[in-house]
Amino acid sequence: MELANIFVRSIFIDNMIFAYFLGMCSYLAVSKNVKTAFGLGVAVCFVLIITMPVNYLINKYLLQSGALKWISADWVNVDLSFLTLIIFIAVIAAIVQLLEMVIERFSVSLYQALGIFLPLIAVNCAILGGSLFMQEKNFPDVTHSFVYALGSGIGWMLAIVAFAAIRDRLKYSDIPKPLQGNGIAYIITGLMGIGFMAFLGI
Amino acid sequence: MKNFSNKYIFLYITALVVIIAGLLSVVSIALKPRQMQNQEIEKAQQILQAAGYDQIAKEDALPLFSKIAAPLESSTQREMYTIQCADGTQGTVIFVDGKGLWGKIWGYVVLADDFNTIKGAVFSHKSETPGLGANITEKKFADSFIGKKIYDSNGKFVSIKILQKAKSGGGVEDANRVDAISGATITSNGVQEMLYKSIKEVEK
Amino acid sequence: MKKYLGPLSKDNPILVQLLGICSALAVTAQLKPAVVMALSVTVVCAFSNFVISLIRNTIPPRIRIIVQLLIVSFLVIIVDQFLQAFVYDISKMLSVFVGLIITNCIIMGRLEAFALSHAPVPSFFDGIFNGLGYGLVLTVVAICRELLGSGTLWNYPIIPASFYEHGYMNNGLMILPPMALILVGVLIWMRNSKLKQVK
Repeated sequence: MELANIFVRSIFIDNMIFAYFLGMCSYLAVSKNVKTAFGLGVAVCFVLIITMPVNYLINKYLLQSGALKWISADWVNVDLSFLTLIIFIAVIAAIVQLLEMVIERFSVSLYQALGIFLPLIAVNCAILGGSLFMQEKNFPDVTHSFVYALGSGIGWMLAIVAFAAIRDRLKYSDIPKPLQGNGIAYIITGLMGIGFMAFLGI
Repeated sequence: MKNFSNKYIFLYITALVVIIAGLLSVVSIALKPRQMQNQEIEKAQQILQAAGYDQIAKEDALPLFSKIAAPLESSTQREMYTIQCADGTQGTVIFVDGKGLWGKIWGYVVLADDFNTIKGAVFSHKSETPGLGANITEKKFADSFIGKKIYDSNGKFVSIKILQKAKSGGGVEDANRVDAISGATITSNGVQEMLYKSIKEVEK
Repeated sequence: MKKYLGPLSKDNPILVQLLGICSALAVTAQLKPAVVMALSVTVVCAFSNFVISLIRNTIPPRIRIIVQLLIVSFLVIIVDQFLQAFVYDISKMLSVFVGLIITNCIIMGRLEAFALSHAPVPSFFDGIFNGLGYGLVLTVVAICRELLGSGTLWNYPIIPASFYEHGYMNNGLMILPPMALILVGVLIWMRNSKLKQVK
């Protein structure tokens, strides 16, 4: 029950894009058409559900203050939490690079579909942000962090696909010239964000 | 561009990581005492503010706090203090903590010696939205708790309900409610939940 | 000199290159955190440009993204630790968003586009001006949002109390996160129409 709650919350209420503005850069850059948007969405989802549980374990057994006590009781007071950022980002970058190699090796068609997005993802704020929020939320076990990652990923994908669809239609609408392109993109995202705020009450 | 051998790459990244981790540890250890002290001072300032002492300078907070407040032993794990309030009466400080919209929220509530009337409160948060949920730290919000009661007129424990201004109480007595922060429903609910759970633990 | 000034208006990282928006919007509900955020980004951007440019010939291209991320996160942690030690109040306000400077695309973008191919000193200035260009937009958005949303600037009340007595209300919508996006959209609109007139 609680897992379902986390799942729905992370898709609609804590939506990475509309509530936290994470991953905006690639969101705006890669939303010209629905197909590529979907590709990037899947890639983000994929990376999120791998990196977040890994980071969860690292945080729990390595970084938190007192986390090292499983090695030896003398180490209870070691607090490595100041290394959080650097380790999270290293894990993310390494996993992205690894994924790229694995996908390239095993499935050429998948590589062609996702490959170009993978380097973009290492610097996608949604991935690092997801890990940081996960750390803040203090989940009791790995399953929770996995569900949260899945929900956040799907939420991100939903947002970018919806936005790409709207942008597709925009081509035919009559927008003042200076507002065309980026200007209107921001405003639409803002309006979509206001729409998503309606979920806050749930 | 030059071609780099795998061995070079491996050594390069290892060296880089070692150097960076070393430097960071030095910085972190050097700054740690200051950071800890900041946290201590902040805590003392918050408790003093809740107890009615206004505008205590950073330097004075710790000495004054250790003079007038003492940790209270209790059967629960909850952090509590007795404190001499600004108006001279004795009060009990209860540490309260819970979850807001984004992360942890916490605060200190000072109860008068009848263990019912709130003499003061102060709240903090880790990452609520600036301008909305973050407003729980404002004096105006904290001061709206002064004089409120955690028991209703029948002597039942109800804690403090935080309700939107426009909504009628729905059976909640005026002494048991304060106005919510508009636009920050989740954070307001979080504060309400936090007060209920935390005070319930120590309530007799 | 002129080529460095581009980021302030013509090549503004937020308005034109669409970079670094993620962290920009979440901290602009009030002026103070926005300014601190802008300064932190400027510092990190300038120094990471400088460091990467110094070692640019030794970085193996295959792992350059990891190397860049390591250097940037190193600097960010230092900034974060200093904020916590010396301006504790403000570091609390920024919380997770300081960490997100790491993935701020402005910094990565400048490293890729400038620092990897230029000498350290010009890279340093490039970093500073890009940081300032970013800060400029942040400040403007934050001023609009704080003034209209809370009636204050830098936490000092600006709108006189008599306005409120005559029925003036703070625009609560301004504080909500989506308004930041809409304001940036309007800024882009203004900038584009002005540039067109100049041409």
